[in-house]
Amino acid sequence: PMFQLIVTPSTALADEPVTIRVTGLPPSQIVTLKATLKDEKENLFQSRAFYKASEAGEVDLEWASALGGDYIGVHPMGLFWSLKPKTAFRRLIKKDVMNSPFYITLDLYDSVSLNDSATIQPKASQMVQRWFSGPGVQRKQIREGRVRGVLFLPPGDGPFPGIIDLFGRIGGVVEFRASLLASRGFVVLALAYFAYEDLPNKLLEVDLEYFEDAANFLLAHPKVQRPGIGVISVSKGAEIGLAMACYLKQVVATVCINGSSVVLDLPLRYKDLVVTPIRLGLERTQVHVSGAARFRYLTDDLWNKLNPQSMLPVEKAQGWILFIVGENDECLDSRGYAERAMQQLQSHGRSRGRMLAYPGAGHLIEPPYSPFCLASWNPGVERPFLWGGDPADHAAAQDHSWGEIQKFFRQHLIPTRSKL
Amino acid sequence: AQLTAAPLSALVDEPVHIQVTGLTPFQVVCLQASLKDEKGNLFESQAFYKANEVGEVDLERDASVGGDYVGVHPMGLLWSLKPEKLLTRLAKRDVMNSPFQVQVKVCDPYFPIKNVVPGAPKDSLTLERWYVAPGVTRIQVKEGRLRGALFLPPGEGLFPGVIDLFGSAGGLIEFRASLLASHGFAALALAYWGYDDLPPLLEKVDLEYFEEAVEFLLRHPKVLGPGVGVISVCKGAEVGLSMAVNLKNITATVLINGPNFAIGNLHVYRGQTSLPTPTNIEFTSSNALGFAEFYRTYEQTGDVDSRYCFPIEKAEGHFLFVVGEDDKALNSKAHALQATSQLTRNGKKNWTVLSYPGAGHLIEPPYSPLCCASRIPFVSPNIHWGGEVIPHAAAQEHSWKEIQSFLKKHLILDVTSQL
Repeated sequence: PMFQLIVTPSTALADEPVTIRVTGLPPSQIVTLKATLKDEKENLFQSRAFYKASEAGEVDLEWASALGGDYIGVHPMGLFWSLKPKTAFRRLIKKDVMNSPFYITLDLYDSVSLNDSATIQPKASQMVQRWFSGPGVQRKQIREGRVRGVLFLPPGDGPFPGIIDLFGRIGGVVEFRASLLASRGFVVLALAYFAYEDLPNKLLEVDLEYFEDAANFLLAHPKVQRPGIGVISVSKGAEIGLAMACYLKQVVATVCINGSSVVLDLPLRYKDLVVTPIRLGLERTQVHVSGAARFRYLTDDLWNKLNPQSMLPVEKAQGWILFIVGENDECLDSRGYAERAMQQLQSHGRSRGRMLAYPGAGHLIEPPYSPFCLASWNPGVERPFLWGGDPADHAAAQDHSWGEIQKFFRQHLIPTRSKL
Repeated sequence: AQLTAAPLSALVDEPVHIQVTGLTPFQVVCLQASLKDEKGNLFESQAFYKANEVGEVDLERDASVGGDYVGVHPMGLLWSLKPEKLLTRLAKRDVMNSPFQVQVKVCDPYFPIKNVVPGAPKDSLTLERWYVAPGVTRIQVKEGRLRGALFLPPGEGLFPGVIDLFGSAGGLIEFRASLLASHGFAALALAYWGYDDLPPLLEKVDLEYFEEAVEFLLRHPKVLGPGVGVISVCKGAEVGLSMAVNLKNITATVLINGPNFAIGNLHVYRGQTSLPTPTNIEFTSSNALGFAEFYRTYEQTGDVDSRYCFPIEKAEGHFLFVVGEDDKALNSKAHALQATSQLTRNGKKNWTVLSYPGAGHLIEPPYSPLCCASRIPFVSPNIHWGGEVIPHAAAQEHSWKEIQSFLKKHLILDVTSQL
């Protein structure tokens, strides 16, 4: 065949970009590039975009503008972050992060291909591997005292900055972000806190001493940098992460992605302290046109009648806090919570907080190139959750924030000469 | 607790007053509506209300705090109905013999948590929503080439005649014509493909077929002349505009979210042809749920090049353009603008544009639930029609009144002007 589809690198970590080029096309030929992935449960995810070849018969996604399809404009990684499930409301999450990659097939068609066809074959195909752990990364199941989770270690002796990784009400252990961070030189504990092994099946309260046990476990590890650890946390995990920042001196750098700055729904307990939560007004659940539930307004009247004791005392935090906010978060008013926390820090003369707010980004801000997910099922609820966001803006937020998150942890967890 | 609704039985485009009494002060309740269409598809909606100090909820006065809509929307439970199966569109087939039955319930707030069974409702009732008023008659039309259904109001007449054209779904869609007849019009729901012995697929728009329809209507003893009206949506509006330009006796044309040029099919009339406009299918977009949006595909052709546009300045009657600004199937706003600019350039003032922010492609009679995406025959993938629930409902309510006024104003001339 005259044309070539060149995709490099063919094997990479999932947060690394890929260059996609087509050469040898007739000038100005309209082509379709399609990406397909099957997850570990055989769910199909697909994306496509339509391009016009240059006069020289080339399409290079670094500069070519998609005319239509799942995204429009110049988006070199668009085929990856616009992957959509064939069955609505399925979310792409890698379960086995050590032994297998995601395989993504890229197909080239020399026409506009709106649908899959049994008869029309692609003119060229390439497969890429997207790994969630780098060479030499180790995975260890953790059952120490009460602590349950999975520890990821970079290759080498260290010491490495240690991070606890917290997800939200999805429960169990979500490993893919921790394994990617370990591939970037951090020791990461993907910490479960409910619906996992012998932990409670349902989350009924947040017992901060459990998380302190986890922090102490990590700090005691021979490969972990002292004197303090970081926390990366999203959604309900981010409310817990912020509470850890406030109360635990072991935590010196905390990333809170789209979380609340008040204690919501469940009581927070730490030693003698019990914080009464703010009630979630479930009657304020809204239903999106797709049928997904929009929880953003559950605490709509919150700021007018807030019990100050339910606010997390961010002024007590000794470490650094980075708030990552998706302004189009439809699950939570993330911006509102982060701004309140920042105001609270400032009014107490504390200067160790920073907010990165991303216009158009939704709730699920994940590592770069994670497919945009507008709404998906959550365990125990009969409607999908609306996460919100605009696909291209959300992808840009994931791209930018991942770099900022790693910089933040290196800056505050790795001692430098000037700190000695 | 007691749930009341008045009237219990009404036309589908008539409002209903829903109230609840007998609650405790400030009690939070859930109002739910459900409907099963003629194929057994379930549609549901819910809203949460807080009773006042005497334990009452009045949908005409009180704001919903959550659910399928928020704010004061007396008819919200009806127009926010959503299908259990995504992409199902609500459309009544048998308009004469049965209404849609809508079950309305008041119950304790129920949240979609798995394995939690909702308690029994405190009270419930059933609404009947009819597509015909008492006395409206339906006549199957099979004359010459014509295929359709004529709906006549009760009485001797004379009634202004209207031809009702739907779009890309084909077949015969009757519910709008039957409603117009319930409001005093002689309405001919006209099929033009995918029905009876008509072509299974629309190949060309043969305007002589539609001319036969105009003549048929005007011949009818109960129809007021000297002209007829046309109400048309989407592909139907493309045909409606072509009719107004080429045919005589078209006095008033309502064009809902249609193009002002030929799309996909040749238009022919007595040896003259209009070629279909070239399309750039590579400009098809996909929304976040994977539904196709076609509104950009004429961006480089029909939207900007007047060579393709119908010579609308040749039409003798009046135009009412109804535009959903959030239409994702067609760039309706641009088409209406282009058509009316062409009229203005030719010194004509025979037009009005009603443009609705937040409304989508499928602007239907009031209280019809928004269908934001569905399948149509011969087209894959699923099509995103656009529209946001609350503004779309408002657009349907407003435009329906305007459409009837417009048709009556131009079709029912007062006696003095006929001399």
